[in-house]
Amino acid sequence: MAFPNVQLSKRPLHFIYICDCSGSMQANGKMQALNQAIRQSLPGMADVARQNPEARVLVRAVSFSHQARWHVAEPTPVEQLQNEWVDLQAEGLTAMGDALALVAAALRTPPMEQRALPPVLVLISDGAPTDDFEAGLQTLLREPWAQKAVRLAIAVGHDADLETLQQFIGPEPRSGATAAAAGDRLPGEPNARSGRRPLQASNATTLAQYIQWASTAVVGSASMPVSQVGSPSPQQANVPLPDLPPTVIGQVVW
Amino acid sequence: MTALLPLGTTLQLEGISGPLRLIRLLGGGGQGQVYEAEYGKERVALKWYFPGCISKDRGLDQRLRECIRATSPNPSFLWPIALLSPSVETLQQHSIPLGTFGYMMGLRPADFVGAHEHVGGHLQISLRHVLRACFFLAEAFHELHLKGLCYKDVSLGNLFLQPQTGRILICDNDNVDIDGRDLGSAVGTPGFMAPEVLLGQARPGTNSDLFSLAVLLFRLLTRHDPLKGSLELQIRCLDEPARRRLYGEDPVFIFDLLDERNRPDPIEHAAALLTWPIYPAQLQGLFQQTLGVGMREPGRRVYTGQWKTALARTLDQRRLCPACGQEVFTQADQSSLCWACGQMLPSTPRFKTVRGDVAAAADNELHRHHFDSLVSECIDHPLASIEAHPLKASVLGLKNLSSETWTAELENGESSSVHPGQRCNLNLLVRLRTSQGSIDLIR
Repeated sequence: MAFPNVQLSKRPLHFIYICDCSGSMQANGKMQALNQAIRQSLPGMADVARQNPEARVLVRAVSFSHQARWHVAEPTPVEQLQNEWVDLQAEGLTAMGDALALVAAALRTPPMEQRALPPVLVLISDGAPTDDFEAGLQTLLREPWAQKAVRLAIAVGHDADLETLQQFIGPEPRSGATAAAAGDRLPGEPNARSGRRPLQASNATTLAQYIQWASTAVVGSASMPVSQVGSPSPQQANVPLPDLPPTVIGQVVW
Repeated sequence: MTALLPLGTTLQLEGISGPLRLIRLLGGGGQGQVYEAEYGKERVALKWYFPGCISKDRGLDQRLRECIRATSPNPSFLWPIALLSPSVETLQQHSIPLGTFGYMMGLRPADFVGAHEHVGGHLQISLRHVLRACFFLAEAFHELHLKGLCYKDVSLGNLFLQPQTGRILICDNDNVDIDGRDLGSAVGTPGFMAPEVLLGQARPGTNSDLFSLAVLLFRLLTRHDPLKGSLELQIRCLDEPARRRLYGEDPVFIFDLLDERNRPDPIEHAAALLTWPIYPAQLQGLFQQTLGVGMREPGRRVYTGQWKTALARTLDQRRLCPACGQEVFTQADQSSLCWACGQMLPSTPRFKTVRGDVAAAADNELHRHHFDSLVSECIDHPLASIEAHPLKASVLGLKNLSSETWTAELENGESSSVHPGQRCNLNLLVRLRTSQGSIDLIR
């Protein structure tokens, strides 16, 4: 006879892509590269979700250009989204503040559950906001679930506003740090890149690696306890960020 | 995922005599990547570390070298076979990060699946095979600890199961260390880590392994976390500080004998409430000890040998509910209710040996430890197994799996030879005489 048909109760883990779809994303295939990167990352995210019996990974996406709107409005199980991802289209301005306000409304309880795992918010942009970013950010950070969220930012190309993206992430734990330069340094090396700073993706390969990292390693960290090294001192952040992947120096330059 | 090593190429590596051909990338994690490779005519696995992991874990190569020298304590470990680093020639030819290394190990067969598949409810597996997996796990840690080694970082993530047999494989043996030496950086995984280790009051060793082992056994047997009860429901955001409280600062076993603050919630923690009563009190008691008094007093945690004994006895008690067919583990000579259908269970015939008491249910087995008090429990080489008749499942027979002929004494006073590979119908049986000792059938 089979083991009784029971399983561990699951907490939701909300993963939200916040994607810049302004006109500049049309240039040099950036929009296509982002769509591809997200598509390619979904099977890996589904694997991580399956490996963690305690989490229900639910994905949504916001796109922002003239204004922000839900691209995937319903929290969708990642394994289902694999077959349903509709490509983002680029046009218009960069209403990033509006996007953060939209996310803030989703993180309010209700509709947010009483109990959950830390949400993961990934902001991806190639430019500077054209609306009231500060107001949007303040609305977002008033929400307790946004304060608990792992907030990551990926700068696409070299024209992204790194200061703004750092504001979204919050202050970097080590003092004096601003946006990190893109690079091919490996984790553990001096001045290693950190997920607590905007990640600069200067080419499609690096973008895909960062999206993959956010959707697998970070989802893993936020959803299940990970093996710890060193002294188990209280973490500075409420979710330990995994090492960034060793990147390959790009061949395709935008 | 981008492979760190050049796939499809043949590498000359220091540490083995011949070249290694990289076939494919099997996976990767925070520490490094695992490849399938060909060495001579054999398929092997190769783990290669990220530079960041090597720089953080200074004792890694020494630990691995000593592990390889110590050899595997037990076949359940996918033990490192050889420490490998790129030869000068390989470094010149390929862009392998300088200073990196890896090790070779056996390739995990495809029918071994991650234990998370079972805990996540994705696997069809019998209770017998889950209990066998638990026994093999306790046995593996028993052999490891007897060698003076400790594992340090056991969790669901490094355990694999073969659902058809309950066989296990324990991977990621690179944190294994000599107990008490602490030549390593791993402290463990929250939820599996002993509270004193999570709080930074002690470094991991055999005592903390005993805690992690109990957690892992509980999770396999119940598909639930032993510390997730009502105290977990009070946590809104389950992040690292919350986990530290739940697993370190105020850890309470959900079935603690005295402290009732963390009892399972009937809806949220239904799995625990359904599965816990399946197991006999003597097995439950070991959890209540390790996760009760042993929570704060590492010296009072149940030893691996005690787990082996209790799990082997639970397997011996296994019988099938005549009403619903489900596996039950209450004592064969006692009437009780089936945990699955609630029907009264009749008493079941059982085999008594000098040291064993095994319920006469299909697939149950007799082993050497049932006859010889000097041998430790081992379920690898059964001497006899109980089999249902292929045409009439209600007729059971005891199959002689030994290499010697046994003598069956029957109810009518006659006796009969049972040759190796033959079965003896239980309906007429009184006793079997074997060179190991007699097997009495108690009805």
